[in-house]
Amino acid sequence: MKFKLTTLVIAGSLVVGGSAVSAQQVNDAQIASIVVTANQVDIDAGKFASGRATNPEVKKFADLMVTDHTAVNKSAVDLATRLKVTPEDNPTSQNLKSGGESNLKNLKGLKGAAFDRAYVEHEVAYHQAVLDAVDKTLIPGAKNEELKALLVKTRPAFVAHLEHAKHVQSMLSK
Amino acid sequence: MTRLVKLEIAGVVIVAALALLTFSRARGAAPVKPVTHQVAIEGMQFQPEVVSLARGDSIVWTNKDLFPHTVTSKSGDFDSHEIKAGESWTYRAVKKGEFPYVCSFHPTMKAVARIR
Repeated sequence: MKFKLTTLVIAGSLVVGGSAVSAQQVNDAQIASIVVTANQVDIDAGKFASGRATNPEVKKFADLMVTDHTAVNKSAVDLATRLKVTPEDNPTSQNLKSGGESNLKNLKGLKGAAFDRAYVEHEVAYHQAVLDAVDKTLIPGAKNEELKALLVKTRPAFVAHLEHAKHVQSMLSK
Repeated sequence: MTRLVKLEIAGVVIVAALALLTFSRARGAAPVKPVTHQVAIEGMQFQPEVVSLARGDSIVWTNKDLFPHTVTSKSGDFDSHEIKAGESWTYRAVKKGEFPYVCSFHPTMKAVARIR
């Protein structure tokens, strides 16, 4: 099956780690890159948090992020490989990557309860931002049916992770 | 009574006895065939969310998501532990009651098994 390149306009903005990406054009190959990068950023944060978190619920959440996002990424990479497409770097994926790096830099300077709070707070913002992008840009924009189906299939995980992160956040504030 | 009549009566008695035996066996044993109920784990949900079943029935949970889940009763009566993507786990109902269960990895996933 030939991977069909299409273009779309990101109408909204993707804000992760304090930076924003405004309107731009992306195609299916770029969407694939955004998906892979978004997952990888959360895997990296989760791996780091798993080693540094002090609260057991925060560590459990971090481990879950590594497991779930690794599985989603495997499916995304498998799909891209099968469709013979190379995920194409773009401003949104670059922004996600730099947002992830600045988040890690910030987290590396924190310990104890302050670390737990900062990690979880970022997880809430990250999942909300990615979910918005999935709903407003990625699902409506994806033209390849299999890519669209993968996005639809993984969407509930982002919703559940967001709720989970909010729950851990409220628990930490008590 | 002629020999023929005697044979006829004996025949009727045998047929009636066999019929009675068959009937009583069917009623006495009354084996209710256990039912296997299917629950899909998909889109971070248990579908259906409520399953009603009788003791002796089974539930097969099949993980259709991309990542692992568990089927863990809050009461501790059953726990699948990790069910990998694409795999299934079966539980045979042994105890009456209402059993709320969750995925221990994803606390937003909740469902109930009602065993009568």
